[in-house]
Amino acid sequence: MKTMETRTPERPPPPRRLASGLDPRRRGAGSWAFVLSRITGLGLVVYLYVHLGVLSLLARGPESWDSFIDVVRSKPFLALDVVVIAGWLVHALNGIRVTLANFSFGARVQKAMFSVAMVVAAVLLVIMSVLIFEGS
Amino acid sequence: MSLDVPLQIHRQKEGVAPHRDLFRVSVADSATVLDAIEAAWAWHDGTIQFRHACHHASCGSCAVRVNGIERLPCVTAITDVWDGASDVVVEPLRNFPVAADLVVDVSTLFDRLEASEMSPLRPVEHALPVEIGERPRTDDGTMVAPAGIERFMRFESCIECGICISACPTAALGGKFYGPAGLAAVQRARAEATAATEVDAILGSVDGEHGVWRCHSAWECTERCPQGLDPAGAIMSLRRELTARRLRRLFRR
Amino acid sequence: MSARLAYPGGAPHVVVIGAGSTGAATAHDLALRGVQVTVVERGEVASGTTGRNHCLLHSGGRYCVKDEEAGIECIDENMILRRIMPDVLELNDGLFVAISDDDLAFKESFLEACEACHIPALDLSKERALELEPGLNPEVLGAVQVPDGVFEPFRFCLSFLASAQSNGAAVRTFTEVVDFEGDPGTVAGVRVRDRSSGRIETIGADIVVNAAGPWAERIAALAGIQVPVAPTPGVMVSVGRRLNNMVVNRLNKPADGDIVVPQRVSSIIGTTSWSVDDPDYIPIPQDHVEKMIKCGRELIPAIGEAPIRGVMAVARPLISKGGGDAREVSRTFECFDHASEGVEGFVTISGGKTTTARAMAEKVTDMVCEKLSVEAECRTRDVPLKSYRTFYTRGAA
Repeated sequence: MKTMETRTPERPPPPRRLASGLDPRRRGAGSWAFVLSRITGLGLVVYLYVHLGVLSLLARGPESWDSFIDVVRSKPFLALDVVVIAGWLVHALNGIRVTLANFSFGARVQKAMFSVAMVVAAVLLVIMSVLIFEGS
Repeated sequence: MSLDVPLQIHRQKEGVAPHRDLFRVSVADSATVLDAIEAAWAWHDGTIQFRHACHHASCGSCAVRVNGIERLPCVTAITDVWDGASDVVVEPLRNFPVAADLVVDVSTLFDRLEASEMSPLRPVEHALPVEIGERPRTDDGTMVAPAGIERFMRFESCIECGICISACPTAALGGKFYGPAGLAAVQRARAEATAATEVDAILGSVDGEHGVWRCHSAWECTERCPQGLDPAGAIMSLRRELTARRLRRLFRR
Repeated sequence: MSARLAYPGGAPHVVVIGAGSTGAATAHDLALRGVQVTVVERGEVASGTTGRNHCLLHSGGRYCVKDEEAGIECIDENMILRRIMPDVLELNDGLFVAISDDDLAFKESFLEACEACHIPALDLSKERALELEPGLNPEVLGAVQVPDGVFEPFRFCLSFLASAQSNGAAVRTFTEVVDFEGDPGTVAGVRVRDRSSGRIETIGADIVVNAAGPWAERIAALAGIQVPVAPTPGVMVSVGRRLNNMVVNRLNKPADGDIVVPQRVSSIIGTTSWSVDDPDYIPIPQDHVEKMIKCGRELIPAIGEAPIRGVMAVARPLISKGGGDAREVSRTFECFDHASEGVEGFVTISGGKTTTARAMAEKVTDMVCEKLSVEAECRTRDVPLKSYRTFYTRGAA
């Protein structure tokens, strides 16, 4: 091959080898939904174990349960509850979309369904947060 | 008018660690990304390895990632991917073994396509024009074929480029997943099949853990398909049909 | 270094340079006759001239009036390809349409020439033409139906190469010939650079076939031979809509932009013609692109509104006979046995078009087999080709 300008090619820094296949940045809504569902799913599993652990406190008698309830009523803890609810809403509502689209119901509008699901999740989250913090 | 475009091309050869080389190529303002890659090869470094043949999005051989996104460089204008300042980064497709530079080993893709038994030809579906990415239209019965020909046939819409597989996060996790191209091809084969036994065999071939059930609905394949096809939709419609089949069998007992 | 490699049964070994339509069809013919073949190609299959061609499986109608030999060649090969690769061809026939009175006046000599070349031709009324192709210019005056077809050049080559592989041929893409091996006056093999590793290797051969298209001159020069090839590109424009089902040609003498070839979900308008020195990089002249749209609209008005999807140009490997208008240069093909120029073991096949690739391969394979004393008949007319998809699954390099 001829070269018009014989120059050694410049070397930019080497590319990062992250799991580029799973990185939702620069990708469609579907990838974000995929990643969000997985993260919230894992989060909910962790929460389930925590929850079961908490319930086991009941077995240790009224004092340990009552002192635990005091912690749980504090504002920082209620904020964590909101995080759990956010995760649950995203997972459940996106899950409805995935279940429907997976059997070809609304497959053509699946992107719109994701947007709707996230908007509904946001609205419900606001309502529930208000209810949680109001009652405290 | 000509442009001076900074092009970063992924390089990978035997004995040389993967890295990117930067080339400043001079191309016309109407040039495509493939023109730019060719310019780098012709004028700067004749060892750059890249696949290309038809230059009009029919052979599917040139598929790469441009700035991280899967595209066909032969029909992607350089002005669509270059902001005038930053480098344009060209890398090989994901989820295929890299042979060298921008060339990947596509044997698994063609394995699955051959196994799908999707014919390379299909009937022209309705009166012209036929466009990529159009909503399905029914035949209005106005098409007339010339003397000596039963009906107009054309090459399938899928150009077998592998972009859908590169975009698929499930394919990224490795394994024996058939992939969107292979599954969508089976859906086409099913659509053209008539005999019940044939349909049964076709559906059965994807009713396994590496078939339609492995898809996790990221829908990236449909997002990236350069022909505007909907492989994810094809997978979902296969799922629907398989589920209906199972339920019918369940209730027949 | 002994040229003859120790193959089982002592089969002779031929290296074919180039994996375009000529090289692919030649590899298939050689392999079918029991010859060991290695194809070396510096890029991907069909990355040269063949990949970017107009995809027209000629009926011969375009050439029959001025060049009876070319017309007959086309229709014969057309019928053969329909037999051996039916799955990779759009076979919807073609129309030669008359838009002007001049076109209509051409019809008589056109029909006569088709008859002389045994090209099936059906004279159609204006109404019938519009019934078949509603997208035609409504001012169409008449048309002739001929057995034009459409191929996809990449898969065309893959089909021949897959068949060759199934008969033991090795296809090495991204393998670039850098020199010839052998004593002066003899080609005993090729020295190649494997692009993936950068290593230089030697591949011994009893005969080397130069099927490098417009690069044939460059390859031959490595052996000190001059091959008269004139790289002559043409621009084609593919629009993002399938606007015709049948190939639409202008019913007149060949001119620029007088063919619209449907393919998949596109229509491709072509072509033009100009000479270049360097076939490696051909910048596309924008005025040619505009001309294609303008000419295309005269045949199919909707081309004017269709989005342009791809624009391609690549050098045709025309055999230059010194001077003359580029379009006048003969489109027949030639085989050169360079033994007559003092170099043994080296032949070049040049010129031609993809429609006649199989015939070109037959001619050069006959020549090669005669030189090798291989007594096997050509069977490529009848042996169906393998599925193009199996090219990659058989582990090509």
